[in-house]
Amino acid sequence: MITFEQVTKRYGGRLALDAVSWHMDEGECVVFLGPSGAGKTTVLRLITHEIQPSTGSVTVGTFRTGRLTRSQRALLRRTLGIIYEDFRLLHDRTVFENVALAVRIVGRFAESDIGPRVRTALEEVGLNGMESAFPAELSAGEKQRAAIARAIVNRPAVVLADEPTGALEAESAADVLRLLKTIHLEGAAVLLVTTREEVAAAVPGRVLRLVDGKLIEGAPAPAAGVTPIAAAAPIPPPDIAETGVAPASATG
Amino acid sequence: MHVFFVKEAWRSFRQHRGLGMTAIFSLTAALTLSGLFVLLSHNADNALKWVGDRREMVVYLKDDTTDSRRAALIESLTRLYGTTTYVSREQAWKEFSEQIGDPVLLEAVGSNPLPASLRVRLRPELLNAASMEEAARQVAQFTEVEDVRYGAEWVRRLDDLGAGLRRGTLAVGVLVALAIVFVIYNTLRLTVLARRQQVEIMSRLGATDRFIATPFVIEAMFEAALAALLSLGVLLTFKQAVSAQVTGVVFLPALGSLAFLGVAVALAWLASLIALSRVLRAVGP
Repeated sequence: MITFEQVTKRYGGRLALDAVSWHMDEGECVVFLGPSGAGKTTVLRLITHEIQPSTGSVTVGTFRTGRLTRSQRALLRRTLGIIYEDFRLLHDRTVFENVALAVRIVGRFAESDIGPRVRTALEEVGLNGMESAFPAELSAGEKQRAAIARAIVNRPAVVLADEPTGALEAESAADVLRLLKTIHLEGAAVLLVTTREEVAAAVPGRVLRLVDGKLIEGAPAPAAGVTPIAAAAPIPPPDIAETGVAPASATG
Repeated sequence: MHVFFVKEAWRSFRQHRGLGMTAIFSLTAALTLSGLFVLLSHNADNALKWVGDRREMVVYLKDDTTDSRRAALIESLTRLYGTTTYVSREQAWKEFSEQIGDPVLLEAVGSNPLPASLRVRLRPELLNAASMEEAARQVAQFTEVEDVRYGAEWVRRLDDLGAGLRRGTLAVGVLVALAIVFVIYNTLRLTVLARRQQVEIMSRLGATDRFIATPFVIEAMFEAALAALLSLGVLLTFKQAVSAQVTGVVFLPALGSLAFLGVAVALAWLASLIALSRVLRAVGP
């Protein structure tokens, strides 16, 4: 599903990732644990194709870095659900509109299907009844739950969470971690990035430790010749890639 | 989905009213300038056409031309150049007498010296200096023809004036088109930068450039349409004010006004596509 092969990333003279190799299977849960500046967010940005590796290759599903056009990059992102530490909600839109935006962007659903789909997602994260609230009217925990609803509303194959509890107090953080566990149990792969040991411990996943851009603990590089998931496969036509491999147990 | 994009455009316009209004007023000024030239050119064209319609070629006949040869000549000229009417010596004298008016002067002229002539109202495609010159040359070769007059210098000046106006309209049009592209380009750049966070979030959610750009394009087209309507309003007011002083001034025809609006909107569409293709690459993650 996601494969890094000897990935090195430099920002000018600074080394952010140093020959990192790891692999994540469909439906798996992986936690990247490490201090600030270890290169965790760089891993996420490489997956979402915001940046390119200096050397090595990153494969996400059937998408391989370095070969994507802007529209293919958009297509790749539509197969992912992303949760950020600072929520990244649009402040001039209600909770409903924020979540609905993700559905509209994917463009697979009729206008009449958007409402029920959004309401289902909001119900799953416990935000029913808060559809018409604006982000400014929500607590930090509620904002993050709205962001999670936006991430899961299209039933992505992978949910990426960048320090999702970083801005939350203990109770809200626990709620968010419970939600992530539920999402994982329903079949989606979850990739969580955190600086906190207790967060890593709270999620039932394989822990990969990153320090100074090096993977010091966790799964080794995939065996030679076992490069999974079409490292050399051609990019599929959009309608195939866009289906996003929704898990059978997921609703919607 | 289309309703969504229109709503997004309206949301963007409302949130950045200052920018939007600045764009509308700048575009209105540019379009009014261009419209003024179009209006002037249209009226000048009308006037030239009115004058041009009265352009005719006078073919003087030799005194010994028989009725049958004259009839054959009239038929040929009508077929080749345009409606031809015969003016006899007597009729020519009568018209001349009416123009002079003073019987003393007429008496001084003595007997009627005027030749019979044919007046040819040229077909529209021949109403230009080059064609008239060629037609006159050809007509002069008929054996019954004594002389051909068509006011060569006057016709040439009229043509030059018309061509000058058309060139001026085109030049102003191109300048205004560039101004519109410039205004839209910079307004959109500022609007996108003002909504940078939204663009980034949408891009991270997997929105295509087209999805992100569409509301901005609609907003630009809306601003251009509004500016064009305002501009047409200003021009209509101007025309009414001038009409009170000068008779015969006309406004642009409905189709012309529609074309004016259409061109403004099309330019806005083009400018926004150029702007967004560059700006989104710079802003999106």
